[in-house]
Parts: sequence; C-alpha cells; structure tokens
Amino acid sequence: MNRRTTRHRLRVLSGYVGGVLLGAVLWQVIGTIAPHEVFDSLSDTLARLWQIILDGTLGTALWTSFQTYLVGMVFALIIGAFGGLLLARRQLLRIALEPYAIALYATPMVGIIPFLLALLGFGFWPKVVVIILFAFFPVLLNTQRGAQSISPELLDVARVYRTRERDIWRHVILPYTLPFLMTGVRQSLARGLVGMIAADFFLSSDGLGGLLITASERFDTAEMLAITLVITVIGLALMAIGRALENHFARWRVG
Amino acid sequence: MTTNTKTATRTRIARVSSTPQASTTPSRRKKITLWASAGLGILVVWQVGFTLFAPAYIATPIGAILAIPTVFADPIFFPDVASTLGAVFEGLLIAIVAGTIIGLAMGRLPDVNRVLGMYVGAFYAIPLIAIVPLFTVWFGYTPQARLAMIVLEAVLPIIYNVAEGSRIVSATYLDVTRIHRVAWWRVWTGVVLPNALPYVLAGLDLAIGRALIGAVVAEFVTAIDGLGTYILFNVHSFHQNEAVIALIVVVIFALVIRALINLAVRRGLPWYQPVKEA
Repeated sequence: MNRRTTRHRLRVLSGYVGGVLLGAVLWQVIGTIAPHEVFDSLSDTLARLWQIILDGTLGTALWTSFQTYLVGMVFALIIGAFGGLLLARRQLLRIALEPYAIALYATPMVGIIPFLLALLGFGFWPKVVVIILFAFFPVLLNTQRGAQSISPELLDVARVYRTRERDIWRHVILPYTLPFLMTGVRQSLARGLVGMIAADFFLSSDGLGGLLITASERFDTAEMLAITLVITVIGLALMAIGRALENHFARWRVG
Repeated sequence: MTTNTKTATRTRIARVSSTPQASTTPSRRKKITLWASAGLGILVVWQVGFTLFAPAYIATPIGAILAIPTVFADPIFFPDVASTLGAVFEGLLIAIVAGTIIGLAMGRLPDVNRVLGMYVGAFYAIPLIAIVPLFTVWFGYTPQARLAMIVLEAVLPIIYNVAEGSRIVSATYLDVTRIHRVAWWRVWTGVVLPNALPYVLAGLDLAIGRALIGAVVAEFVTAIDGLGTYILFNVHSFHQNEAVIALIVVVIFALVIRALINLAVRRGLPWYQPVKEA
C-alpha cells in the first residue's frame, strides 16, 4: 500500500514536472528553429525580460497600468456593491433596471471604447472608466443576488429583538452579503485586467498594453513574449488573490 | 428603510413562498410598465444630456434611430455583419470540437490533465487580447488572425467545463460497462461523451461573450472588414449614430445565442447541474 502511494505520488509529480519541461523545451526548440520575427526562444525571451527590467521600461509600464487598474477597481467595487445592495433592497429599482444591467453585462465592452474615446478623449480617467465598465457588473450582480437571498428568518429574529435598521444592516445584511460580494470581486479582478489591456491598446497607448503594441510594431517577438509572460504572472496572481478572498469570506457563507 | 420592515412582515404571513419578495411581487403588467418607463427615462436622460452638454457628433437615441435607414442602405453593412458573425460561428464550431476533445482527455485521463492542466489554467487566467499583437505578427492583418483569436478565446471555457464535467461520470455506469466488457471506444461514445454534452453547452455559454470580445479586438487592431471595424471607422468619421446600430447588432447576437443555449439546456438536458465557475 505504502509503496503504491509513493509510486502514485511520483507519477503525479512527474506529470507536473514533465508538463513544465515539455512546454519549456518546445518553446526553446520552436523559438530556435523559427525566424526571430515569428517566434523567439525561451532563453531569448528571458534575456529580453531581464533587459526591460533593468532599463526600467517594464517598471514604468507596470506602474502606469497598475494605477489605472487600482483606481478603476476601487470605483468598480464601490459602485457595484452599493448598486447591488440598492437593487436587492429596493424592489421597484430592481424590476426597472435589472434587465438593462443583464443586457449591458452581455455587451462586449471593447465595442464601447471608440465611443468613450470620442467622448472623453485620451488620458488617465477615460482608461479608468473602461476598467470600471469591464469590472463592475460581476460585483453588482453577485451582491444583488446575495443581498436578495437573505432568509426572512434572519431578518425576523432581528425584528423580534427590535433591532434598529442601522444595526440590521451592520450585523445581518452586510455580513450575509459579503461572501457573495467576494465572488463578484474574484470575477471582476480578471475582467478588470482585460479592460486594462484593452484601454492600453485603444486609448492612450502606454502601460503594459502600449508596450505590447509598440513591440509588435517593431516585430520584437521576444519582448512581446516577455510581456505576455509578465501579464500571465499578474493574471495568475490576481486569480489566487481572488480565490483567497472568496475562500476567506466563504467560511460564514450561508447557502 | 421601511421596505425591509414591510417585506419581513409580509413574509411572515406567506412563509410558504421561497423568497422574501415573492409575496409582494407586482403583476406582470406592472413590471413591464416599470421596466419600459425606466428604459424611456434612460433614453431621455441620454438624449437631453448629450444634446445639451456634448458635441453634436456624439451619438444620441434619436440620432441612432434616424440612422437605421442609412445603416441598412449602406452596402458594406450587411457584408460586415456576415463577416464578423460568420467568423464567430466558425470559431465557435472549431472551439466546440477541439474543446470537447481536449476537455474529455483532461477529464478522463489524469496524466493528460497533469501536463495540460496548468497551461489551460494559465491561459484561462490571462487577458487573451494581449495575444492579439502576437497573432498579427503570425497571421498578418488578415481574417485568419481574427479567427485564431476567436477560437483561442472560446476554446478555454469549453475545455474547462468539459474537463470538470467529465470527471464526475457516474461510477455505476462505468461499472456496468465493465461488467458487460464494453469496448473502450463505445464507453467513450456511449457514456462519457453524452455525459459531457451539457458541459459543452455550459462552456459555450461562457465562450460566446469572449469570442465576440476577441473578434472585435482583433478587428480594431487589424482593421479587417467586420462589425468592429465598421464601429471604429464610423466613430472616427463622426458617424457615431451609425456605429451605435452596429454595436446593438453585436449585443442582440450575443443575447439571442445565449437565450438559445439556455433553452436547449432546459428543454433537452433538464437533469444537468452546472459546475462551479472558474
């Protein structure tokens, strides 16, 4: 039995390690065979990555993108959370606006970017608006779903004890809704990142997305791959943060 | 805050109803009136606000309605619609086939999952539109770049859902096939594939929005013919109202396809339980 589990673990481990190695070797081999402007090898990509880290290009771009992302996400969170609570607790508003929220949620937001550009122009805030548009719907809809599903028993008990309205919000509604909100936050983190790259592409061309575009105009495949690698790491890190937040608050999630 | 009190009191009477709001739900007619008046309100605010405070070329509801004949008479509009939506259809078909095969392999064969799982996970986590510049280098400024983008965007949620779904094939079914010494390929076509079908649809539901984003971004970057380019070109030449119509076509397309999928799942596969979203 013991030997079997050891062998099994070895097989699992070799699967993961093999997967990484296979990918790395394929990348290296294809990159070496293919012309430089089509695909570049792993070693060239890492060398280029090191280069743009050292000369500060990457740092500047990261900082620019990070600022818009952070501000956009904060706004998306506030608007989504308050909007969701409002829609959940005010039935008239919900009936009136929910269909439009769902239709807008289904809209490919990139299509709106040219209009925003014409209306707001270039700069920091138009980009923030793009990120808000991409990111706030999951927060809104999840918060609404959560706040709406509070069981009447909880509210009843609070009423029986003549709890003040303010305390009902503080001790019942908000804690109950928080785990749902966090599910929305997790989904928003990824969507906001898409918005950030899209804003970098089509509004003022700076940040990580701008770096990608200029690299593609130079046919600098190594730099494009290096930036994509950075974006992948950021994406995975954000997903891990989102998961951790969600799991942390899921402990007191009811239903 | 009085609504809460009201809601809570009323539910005490109608405890049988499942949600607190159920007992106070207004009639269908009242709902539609509310909904329509809210829509009208939004349009009026948009119209008045933009007429007063924005330049004349910014789109307004009345302008967009007036632009409908122009758009439909535009000889390039319908070819552009066909180009984009046709590419999305083609991409979704490729993604369904590829996604089902890869997803089934990952779900049923642990070794495949270990090797591929992290790549699928990584690609699913990143904004794939970041790959568009690379695709323009590989495929040039061509419709192939757009198709590749659509397939890449659409295939990941399908792989993910099918892999998760086919992992939970009922052990009883598999035991029965083993007892009857059913050939392996018949187990796959007869048990594993039908089991995965609803998950293909669930993945497809997530894939459509992503595919449209991929298509529009690819068109924005490459400027090949299509709805995205139609939007971009018209906005840049101060014909925003026409561009709004094109955007609405994209949204309607997305909503109709998603409604069809929901209908198919509810009618054809009522036993299906969705997997937890990635």
